[in-house]
Amino acid sequence: MRGNVAIVGYGRTPYSRLKPGEPVLTVDEYIAWAAELALESAGMSKSDFDGQGLGVSHAEVAHTVNWSAATAENLGISPNALIRGDQGGCSATSMLIRAAALIEAGIIDRALIVGADTPLSMPSIAPGLPLSPERTRGVYWDFQGPFGVMGATAQFALVLRRYMHEHDVSPEQLGKVAVTNRYHASLHPGAIYRKPFTLEDYLDSRMLSDPIRLFDCVPIVNGGLAYIVTSAESAKTITDRPVYMLGCGETNNFYCGSRVFPDVTVTGFSQSAPRAMEMAGVEHDDIDFLQPYDDYPFISMMTIEDWGFCKKGDGGKFIEERDLRFDGDFPLSTDGGQLSGGQPGGANGGFMPLVEGVAQLRGEAGDRQVKDASIGAVCGFGGIPYGRPGRSCISIILGSEA
Amino acid sequence: MNALPSKPLPEIPELTRPFWSAAREGRLVMQKCSSCGTVNFHPKPWCIECGDRDLVWTEMKQEGAVYSFTISHSVAMNYLGWQEELPVVMCLIDIDDGARMYAQLTDVAEQDIHVGMRVKAYFEPIGKEAGIPKFRPA
Repeated sequence: MRGNVAIVGYGRTPYSRLKPGEPVLTVDEYIAWAAELALESAGMSKSDFDGQGLGVSHAEVAHTVNWSAATAENLGISPNALIRGDQGGCSATSMLIRAAALIEAGIIDRALIVGADTPLSMPSIAPGLPLSPERTRGVYWDFQGPFGVMGATAQFALVLRRYMHEHDVSPEQLGKVAVTNRYHASLHPGAIYRKPFTLEDYLDSRMLSDPIRLFDCVPIVNGGLAYIVTSAESAKTITDRPVYMLGCGETNNFYCGSRVFPDVTVTGFSQSAPRAMEMAGVEHDDIDFLQPYDDYPFISMMTIEDWGFCKKGDGGKFIEERDLRFDGDFPLSTDGGQLSGGQPGGANGGFMPLVEGVAQLRGEAGDRQVKDASIGAVCGFGGIPYGRPGRSCISIILGSEA
Repeated sequence: MNALPSKPLPEIPELTRPFWSAAREGRLVMQKCSSCGTVNFHPKPWCIECGDRDLVWTEMKQEGAVYSFTISHSVAMNYLGWQEELPVVMCLIDIDDGARMYAQLTDVAEQDIHVGMRVKAYFEPIGKEAGIPKFRPA
């Protein structure tokens, strides 16, 4: 599949924290808005997707079980193939892989992939429990909520604490990721928080679930994103700046070691990233930037390690020694990531690394443009399994040349 | 909106009832695979190692070691009844000869908590049908 498909357009709506006076849009409106931006970016129209593919990411506020088909109805598109992204932060990248396979098989030539959510507008079943009912039911939740698990931040704090037990990493090193992301957000007009902060500000931020601080966490937003993927042949007729998928790797329900007592400090990127790089035929030195799924700074660090940019356990040192800014020697989360950009629901933050990777490789990243970027690494990271960090880990290599 | 309990209560289908009933009586049980001996937790529909559906609820030792811990200073994505217990010390506990589980650690000074700490279970009732295991330093 190397180079068989390319992304030819993308869109990211402005995000909202629902400040007083801001319009309150529905998830359907965000989907249409994101799709419109992607279509404009590609110079295409919605009718180009009749008889083709439509991919739709899960939304916490999805109002029907037939979410992808209902979205087709709402958009007035009659596709021959629907793709449903239900892998949390891996949904955007998993739909890219599925679309590439459908295109490779000749079933479709192109697909419009959309995702949006309005988690801030969701009816809550309990105060302080901003979750759709489906996320509070079943054995998985019954064996967490009643035990006192305080959501994702506590779940990830347990992973970080264990990492700190096995390896050296300092709050200053993790803070550098958060500070750099905020710096990048200051250069991205669409980021939700754009005012730079210092390492001291990070260290002074409130401890939520020790060792995770407030500035380690993503702000939840309402918003939507979309992209368009086509066969490489079609891409050349649509744009002079196609961004090719050179490699992909996917790992779901990864365990490091035994399933009963796994080592939670290693993610599925340790398997999916080498596969993506092998397919693409690239080495670490060939990669011009990394867009991790930065739900927490230490996840960016573990992603760096598990991709093999440094040895396991050296991630903190690597962060300290490298310049993570867009014009540095290891550009990381050049859009500000979700940490400063915002997370438009648990299933759609994963569009952001992909969309930013495409923007960079098309030379459309404005003030944060990585100079001469031609090969980029982007990640999806989705779902929180019981006592472990990530249910799905997808690694993608993008390139401006096939 | 209906009145909510101050803390979340589990639904109790037959699959998980033995765990809750045992905890109500002060016992810790987990599913042990009759074929390969793997202890499965949280409860599974078949053995996650070998796929055998014959999982037998088996009494576990009530001791283990802290695999990791976090100290939660605010309530997020949970019911506000936890507020009065803050900070909540939440752990992953490796039960001896058992499996890993989330559980609260109580009766411990924050500065004494460490990975590898030996801990012992105790049980609190939550409703008529269920109990919940918590841990204290052994």
